Amino acid sequence: MRISHKSRFTTLVGAAALVAASLTMVPAHAAATGPLCDGKVPVQTCGGTTADGAPYAMQVPANFNGTVLLYSHGYRPNVAVPVGIPGYGGYTVANTPETAPGQSDKNMSPTTTLLTQGYALMGSGFSRQGWNIDAALATNVELIDTFKKKFTTTKHVVAWGQSLGGIITQALAEKYPTLIDAAAPLCMADNVNAELTMAGDFLWGFKVLFNPAIKGGNYSAGTAGYVEAMTDLKLFFTTLAEVQAGITQVDPTKSWPSTSSATGKALAAAGVPVRSALLLLGLMSGVSTQSPSFDSVAGPDGALKTTFPLAVSPALAVLENGANAGALAILAISDVEAQAGGAVFDNTKTDYSARVADSSVIFNAALSGNTAITAMLGALSPANPGAPRAVGNPDAIAKMNALTQTTGKINVPSIYMVGVSDPITPAGATQRIVDKYAEQYAAAKAAAAKASYNGGTYVAPKSKVLAIWSVTPKTWTKFDAAGLPIAQAKTPGTGHCTFTTANYLTVSKFLVDAASSGSINWDAAGRRAVRASKGLLVDPNFHAPLLKYYGE
Amino acid sequence: MKSLHRRKLISASAILAVTALTATAVPANAFSPKSEVGVSQTEIKLGITLPMTGVASPGYNKVPAAMKAYFDYVNANGGVNGRKVTLVVKDDGYVPTQAVAKTNELILKDRVLALVAPLGTANNKAVAASVNPGSRGVPVLFVNTGFSGFADSKKFPTTYPILPSYVMEAKIMAEYIKDNFAGKTIGLLYQDDDFGTDALAGFKSAGVKFAATVGYASGSQSATTGPGWITKLKAANCDVVILFGVSSATAVALGTAAAMKYAPQWILGSVGGDATTIKAAGVPAGVLYNAVGASFLPATTDATDEYVSLFSGIYAKAVPGSAFDNNVLLGMNTAFVTVQALKAAGANPTRKSLLDAIAAKGSTFASAGLLPLNYSATSHVGYNGYWFGKYSPTGDLKPVGGTYTLYTTDSGTGAVVKSTYKRPAMPAKGLPN
Repeated sequence: MRISHKSRFTTLVGAAALVAASLTMVPAHAAATGPLCDGKVPVQTCGGTTADGAPYAMQVPANFNGTVLLYSHGYRPNVAVPVGIPGYGGYTVANTPETAPGQSDKNMSPTTTLLTQGYALMGSGFSRQGWNIDAALATNVELIDTFKKKFTTTKHVVAWGQSLGGIITQALAEKYPTLIDAAAPLCMADNVNAELTMAGDFLWGFKVLFNPAIKGGNYSAGTAGYVEAMTDLKLFFTTLAEVQAGITQVDPTKSWPSTSSATGKALAAAGVPVRSALLLLGLMSGVSTQSPSFDSVAGPDGALKTTFPLAVSPALAVLENGANAGALAILAISDVEAQAGGAVFDNTKTDYSARVADSSVIFNAALSGNTAITAMLGALSPANPGAPRAVGNPDAIAKMNALTQTTGKINVPSIYMVGVSDPITPAGATQRIVDKYAEQYAAAKAAAAKASYNGGTYVAPKSKVLAIWSVTPKTWTKFDAAGLPIAQAKTPGTGHCTFTTANYLTVSKFLVDAASSGSINWDAAGRRAVRASKGLLVDPNFHAPLLKYYGE
Repeated sequence: MKSLHRRKLISASAILAVTALTATAVPANAFSPKSEVGVSQTEIKLGITLPMTGVASPGYNKVPAAMKAYFDYVNANGGVNGRKVTLVVKDDGYVPTQAVAKTNELILKDRVLALVAPLGTANNKAVAASVNPGSRGVPVLFVNTGFSGFADSKKFPTTYPILPSYVMEAKIMAEYIKDNFAGKTIGLLYQDDDFGTDALAGFKSAGVKFAATVGYASGSQSATTGPGWITKLKAANCDVVILFGVSSATAVALGTAAAMKYAPQWILGSVGGDATTIKAAGVPAGVLYNAVGASFLPATTDATDEYVSLFSGIYAKAVPGSAFDNNVLLGMNTAFVTVQALKAAGANPTRKSLLDAIAAKGSTFASAGLLPLNYSATSHVGYNGYWFGKYSPTGDLKPVGGTYTLYTTDSGTGAVVKSTYKRPAMPAKGLPN
């Protein structure tokens, strides 16, 4: 069995195709320049930089219909990753603009389709990478103004983006509602604290059990900190490979990595298999138990038909998803620490037992029963000196929380789309916004009802939110003739931002329609479009589990 | 969803009220209320999830056929207010994530009125957490697990257990041990999840001290793990060993012990004590001989019992050649209670009226149980006690001394006492009015 550590996240950060070939690149950190347009027909491409030096691109068809879509790309590390580091080695920082989703995967279909339909596209590579919402907002605000001045027939501006670009889009809609007519945050990241809590919890547990040599945060300033983070990245992936090898080991005592801590070795000696420990880390941090290759449902024909999904598959899913979580933790924590001036991950008050109270029942067998669960939670408790908690720097945490946060306030029609088992940007992050809007909508309805009491006519407010869930197939794990699982990619509803061209175009249709009407057009045609797009669900009764650490 | 339905109903009522004032001669059926999910003019659709395949399936996979046999019997005799009852069966393999997926299918795709007899503690907990039938108003009736927590009507508002809780069973078992095996060295094999946790709580409450306890993770029971269990129990010189797991785990323990020449006094929990299943796993009936078992239903070989007599006849016709055992009796009895709940829910049952009917009338439902059902507006507790028996040379569980001595208690700290409950007579032909 091979599990690729390269996920879509990897692809995103390493992508170089984009629209670069057709753009006139402008050096970063120059004063505002452009837009310089090539004047080509049927699509002219314009490039330039905003005042903060962020390169941007505009693609405007000759049949421009007056609506421009502003795209914000996802997370890219803000440091180069040396060759030789598994998974990410060879990545270099680039500010290459992306003007539409799909480009980072070399899928130009959404781009060409929208341009053919007469829509203009634009996007920036931003002035800095890493966690860059504040910088991206400034760039986007300027870019909108630049576009409107250059193309004066512009009638509507809509914004969309995915992953970190999703929360950038949400923040833009919240802070600058007059600049855009509709928004579509896709596979939207949560606020920085929530994202780093998820990733940080996973990495902390991984370090405590599997390899205490991992620093896991509180990196030094400057070059020393960079070296520490890159060392962590290498240690994480090499240890993960050992964990992977141990998952199918029959003897629990031999399943743990050679780098395991004394705490980990004690669990191994007690008969707790490494697969159970890895699964517990996933459950306590919120890493999904369904991944592109593993559905936690199917088993191979024969003796393992039930045992595999019951005891093994959830751990393999966490392994596949956890590769992303651990890497994100190292890269994003080191970046945000540099921005905030100190350690930002703090789990001194985290109650991991409470986190897994429900899920430990559901996955009891895969966790090897209550005795093993109690042992593992004891090992991760503050009472165990072998599992020291991470202590954050209060000033740094305050600075981190001062970075732009989203509140869930909906000002413009907003269309959301996310995979129900997205490992990096959990569906719960989108559900948080949907829930917030439910309160806002209820208040709007109450206000409308109140206004009608004095003889007026009650006019129900139109909904401004449409949540589209990318759902998984019923079952998808496949096995070869020997009964071994086959690695898969792009399983709908799993992986990070796993969307099809049809999915993107469905969202874009709702987006531009909403820009014209000022509300969501959820009618028969809309329902047909969602059905035709395959793998999507719009159901007000669907409720994605919220991230476990809300309210802690 | 529930509130949406309510709004629709309220709106419909308001329209009806207004129309009634102005309309003259309108056919009555023009005002028929919109039928509930899973209820048509001719059919009431129910759904069940349980292991039909996999390591935990033996024995339990007979439950759906048993339930269908009784439903078909009712259908052949006029159905429930003219509607036939159908049961959609989904195999969850005893895998919680699969139970979630299958339950979603039952609710969203098959559109059943209610879930009936879904099996397994972990599976039902997974469904409660992920599918959330409680907040969606979907009835989860007569769940096939004795986990005491499911009687918490605040946490699981639409769930009604039917089995006595595992806490009750352990407390009553402790009483039996005190009366019959005082001074003996006791060992315990248990499933190391909430199923077993409930049992441990009951034994602890009753003050039972174990010389050895062996927990096994659900699904791990096999010829590989069995020797480790028995070695530990044997090393502790246990004279009496309680097997508090599923039937396949019981079979592994008994079969392995026989091979290792270890023959303590066995006490089998009700969940894993089905002789047919144990024998089917290759354990000779002689190994079961004289083992102690518990049940709240009559012995399946008790030909004098009117329910056993009726149900075994129905089952023999419906599933020829299949043994009438505890799982069959449980399934048919559950179906029998379900039919009463459906009838009590009114001419046009809804999810709400079904739940209301159980709360209002559930304690009066007839059943094969030798102890009462304890449903009320404030209680979701099903049966609340057991009788003990011993397995015959052919592997049939029969009451000690030939008569049922019934013990009852609660899931808390209440004492274990002998029950004075007298089961009411069965409705004529086993067809509830």
